[in-house]
Amino acid sequence: MKAFTRNLMLGAALSMSALVATPSFAAEEKTQPILGITSSALEEFGGREGVRAWVESLFYYIMLDNRIAPIFREFGNVERQTFLNTQLEIMVLGGPNEYQGASMSAAHADLGITMAQFNAVVEAAYNACERNVIKYHTCNQLINALAPFTADIVTR
Amino acid sequence: MKGSKGSGTRWIKGLAFAALSMVSSHSWAGLYDDGKVFLTGGVFTVDGAGGGGAVPWATITGYETRDGINGGVGFTYVQLPNYSLNFLGGSIGFFDRFELSYVNTKLSTNLGNVDTVALVASVLNVDNNLGLDPNGSNLHMETYGAKLRLFGDAVYTSDSYLPQTAIGAFYKVNSTKEFVKTLSAAEDKDWEAYMAFTKVFFRYSTLVNLTVRYTSANQIGLTGFGSCDNGHRNCNNDKEFRVEFSTAYLLQKNFAIGGEYQQHGNQQKNKPVDTGDLLAGDGNGGLLNPIVGGLVGGVIGATNLRDSLVQNESDWYDVFAAYAPSKNYSITIAYLFLGDIAVAREQNGLYLSLHATF
Ligand code: HEM
Repeated sequence: MKAFTRNLMLGAALSMSALVATPSFAAEEKTQPILGITSSALEEFGGREGVRAWVESLFYYIMLDNRIAPIFREFGNVERQTFLNTQLEIMVLGGPNEYQGASMSAAHADLGITMAQFNAVVEAAYNACERNVIKYHTCNQLINALAPFTADIVTR
Repeated sequence: MKGSKGSGTRWIKGLAFAALSMVSSHSWAGLYDDGKVFLTGGVFTVDGAGGGGAVPWATITGYETRDGINGGVGFTYVQLPNYSLNFLGGSIGFFDRFELSYVNTKLSTNLGNVDTVALVASVLNVDNNLGLDPNGSNLHMETYGAKLRLFGDAVYTSDSYLPQTAIGAFYKVNSTKEFVKTLSAAEDKDWEAYMAFTKVFFRYSTLVNLTVRYTSANQIGLTGFGSCDNGHRNCNNDKEFRVEFSTAYLLQKNFAIGGEYQQHGNQQKNKPVDTGDLLAGDGNGGLLNPIVGGLVGGVIGATNLRDSLVQNESDWYDVFAAYAPSKNYSITIAYLFLGDIAVAREQNGLYLSLHATF
């Protein structure tokens, strides 16, 4: 029931933001990893299409992992998250900020995510890189750029 | 009656055991955790702590996160021209915050000159308590360790230069007391403390670690602590700060190559092996002279033997490759450049380590 109302609200929020479609809607900021990331990272990921394909693989591996799949099944919405994660990852890899979703803390704060669950998503991220033939070193540029969100996402 | 009473207590014991194992397996299931990312707990060091090969890192051993407990057992074998070493131990990490470790270390020597001294001592039947064995002498040490993570994060705070920082200590007990004394060490057991800083630079897929150790160890304690003049006089066991550095480049999420540097003291430098009367004095003053002359046909006299027994210690270097096929085990292969160890020169050789984590 809770999940249902959540999804309903999220669906409404999504269609609203799609309607309003303001690119200036920036609920999340680009991270500032020390030493930066390689400037060709987005290109090495295969550009926008490459990132999108990577996110598809990411959710494929997430939904295969019993440690975390139930959380996404209960509270998530794979379609919406694939869309929003693609925007977010393009941004942190050095692309434009077109992210339309909630801030990382707003999206995850009440999920009670543990460090082990977070690391399970990290494992899925590496698996997705391997599946999509993205070099380990390139993959680390994304890990580098996403790591600072840990404190917002892991609340337990 | 007797029988039924016996089976009754057995039954109660069985029940108690079942209850106990239920409780423990339940709490264990709650605390067991292997959620850490590959290799980020480090591997099994010669001191037992989580780290590289010789250098303890600020990371906490095992695959636990801040919500649980994890650990493992490790075995390391080192083959050098004149020595071979075995390290067998284990370590447990608690909540990615605190770590306990233990290692049992055995060093076997293959030193002709030391064997000669031992042989002569036994032929002469002089009981000098040298702690030497004509068939190859051994050193044995046990190391107890603890490490506490203070602040910082090696892996996740990639937007901050603040490294993961930990303090730790070892208590090392060398049980081959006579041998250590013969090697002119001041103490056969002592503690050492260290502070370690670790950071992963994802930009370059590289881990960097700096450790500062406060110690008076000779060869990590295998040949004791501090030093004395012959006759166990003028002993000095003052501790000092020594620097250690370790870096690992990740080629794959579960495969790293790297190198290490460990500064050593040189307190036993130029100290002859303390054989008491056996090699005392110049010229032909020592008890050993005529015997050695006879034994080796006068080619190498006692003076030469004595000169060959002069000690030296070098800083340690190594290059390594660590591979973790799964979170349950890792294999580390290294080539060590340990320089001079006691009376043997240029000790370079292979290192093989297995770390099984549960
Ligand atoms: C760096 C790691 C992560 C990133 C970049 C990330 C990114 C995102 C994004 C962009 C959204 C959409 C926000 C929105 O709907 O407006 C989201 C939602 C969500 N994330 Fe994550 N996430 C991460 C880690 C995790 C982890 C570790 C879990 C759980 C194990 C998780 C579970 C969820 C769930 C269940 C939602 C849906 C929440 C809702 O719709 O209310 N995420 N995440």
